Amino acid sequence: MTAVLFENVEKRFDGGVTALKSLTLEAPEQKFVALLGPSGCGKTTALRILAGLEMPTSGRVLIGGRDVTRLQPRDRDLAMVFQSYALYPHMTIRDNIAYPLWLREVPDAERKAKVEAVAKSLEVEHLLERKPRQLSGGQRQRIALARAIVRDPAAFLMDEPLSNLDARLRLAMRGEIKRLCQRLGTTTIYVTHDQAEAMTMADLVAVMGSGVLQQLAPPEEVYDRPANRFVATFVGNPPMNVLKASVAEGELKVHGRGLAIPPERQAELGAAGVAELGIRPEDIRIVAADAPGAVPGEVYVVEPMGSETFVDVMVGGERLSARAGKSFRAAIGSTVGISFDIADACFFDASGVTVVHRAQNQGGKQ
Amino acid sequence: MTKLWVRYAVMGLVISIVLLPIYWMVAASFKTNKEITQDATLYPHAPTFDNFTRLFAAKDFGHFLLNSVVVTTVSVLLALIFGSLGAYAIARFRLPFGLDRHIGLSLLVMRIVPPVVILIPVFLFILRLNLIDSWLGLIITYTALNVTYCVWMMESFFREIPVDLEEAAMVDGDSRFGAFRRIVLPMAAPGMVATSIFAIIVTFNEFMFALVLTSTPRAMTMPRGTATLIGRIDTDWASMSAAGVLGALPIVIFAFSVQRHLVRGLTLGAVK
Repeated sequence: MTAVLFENVEKRFDGGVTALKSLTLEAPEQKFVALLGPSGCGKTTALRILAGLEMPTSGRVLIGGRDVTRLQPRDRDLAMVFQSYALYPHMTIRDNIAYPLWLREVPDAERKAKVEAVAKSLEVEHLLERKPRQLSGGQRQRIALARAIVRDPAAFLMDEPLSNLDARLRLAMRGEIKRLCQRLGTTTIYVTHDQAEAMTMADLVAVMGSGVLQQLAPPEEVYDRPANRFVATFVGNPPMNVLKASVAEGELKVHGRGLAIPPERQAELGAAGVAELGIRPEDIRIVAADAPGAVPGEVYVVEPMGSETFVDVMVGGERLSARAGKSFRAAIGSTVGISFDIADACFFDASGVTVVHRAQNQGGKQ
Repeated sequence: MTKLWVRYAVMGLVISIVLLPIYWMVAASFKTNKEITQDATLYPHAPTFDNFTRLFAAKDFGHFLLNSVVVTTVSVLLALIFGSLGAYAIARFRLPFGLDRHIGLSLLVMRIVPPVVILIPVFLFILRLNLIDSWLGLIITYTALNVTYCVWMMESFFREIPVDLEEAAMVDGDSRFGAFRRIVLPMAAPGMVATSIFAIIVTFNEFMFALVLTSTPRAMTMPRGTATLIGRIDTDWASMSAAGVLGALPIVIFAFSVQRHLVRGLTLGAVK
């Protein structure tokens, strides 16, 4: 059964801005789905349409098989965590958490018990009698979560819930929310522009760009087998390198160099209409400029990160990122060679669609 | 040190200019007419409550006071209710033709128009409704006048309340009106108090419409009733002063009791 389904949902705002162009997205029951995309890609609009806070221009929204497109937010049985937490400032924390129960006329004793149980599980019992303004950002975040999980909704909606926290707290809460959602087993739709959040927390990542769903897949697949150039260059840090490339006479031509194509890939690459090549930074090796099969380039910048070193190399006017070992050092401007296995690369056609994925069962070099 | 001294001197001067007429009124209310018009004393030499007792015993001031309190309370309450609903709609909803952006200003323009301009139409309107010389006639008129002001004031207070809060309430299971009542209104309370203070003062002191729309003590308000003390040939200054004190008292008491909210309301949103 499908928990949440967007069916050809389109949203045009007054003034002509189209936030969503025919979004069709299925979030399976009990799964954690992250809507990931740059700002303005329509992910928040999609969430607000699901919550009933915006009406779609056309299309349908279904929750658990029920068409909710024209229903009021309160009739959709959802719980939402807002980016701003949206705690009611004139109520105590206890009343904030109890509010959804109170509206559903849950009896006093049961309400009290539930609020206290939730507060205990999130370790905020000692805050119950305070007002929101007396709480820190992290505490407010927990209360917003508590208010969402205090009842058992059809789905949780989270709109960038961690973006107002500082980096350390964000890391800690990321793990906590993941554990919480797994324990509760409730369908969760999580909007974020932070790919680390999407990759680490989600069962499925829905990458969105310019109002369109680009790819819906598990995190590893989004990373290893991106559906198109947009996904390939949005996911990953540093992002995937994209080079102009063409296939001719059984060779892959990259910046004037011909690279031999392994026999097992000959057929698919020859027929695909390859226009560009994508290669992850960790799949690039930095070698001597005159090494066989290497493409020469000039070191643009070296960024030691502690655990590894990012190296940017200019190759024929294009800037490539590579991940090198922690001890790698090279002078800016020096000439190096870059080399990679064609099996690790993926290939895009002229419209940016992935025509050949990287070879499977090759999780990159160690 | 000298600067401080100058500052106190200026403040003292301003305060005395403001307070002098009020002192004169209060002092005169305890004098006899003879002491006011012939002796011109600085303070009442033989203080007397006669002026006050005469207002109630012989001049219907009990009625006037009651009328004022009822008419002011009801009309300000109604204006706050309608005004809040209207202001909320303007603050939150996109209306066709960009009306949400223009309604607020046009309402204010209604307020700026000199009351004399609409005095005759309002009189004819109330006359046609058979509501001359009644509480209802005054209440309708004052509510209409106050609504414009309430909408304009409340709109800015509503705009400062984050829309996330209502949306959270609606997802939590509340209706739009429920979210308005339980989440938005409590947060807008200081704004409502500030708005009501001004509306109450203006309504309680209103004279021109009361003059035209009432003719007997049945519906006359304090300012209108006080004017009855000005006779064709002589004016009862002592009673007038007592009536002035009496009329000012409810407003002064009210202002002191809500002073805390007033200051909060006026500075609400000044700093975030």
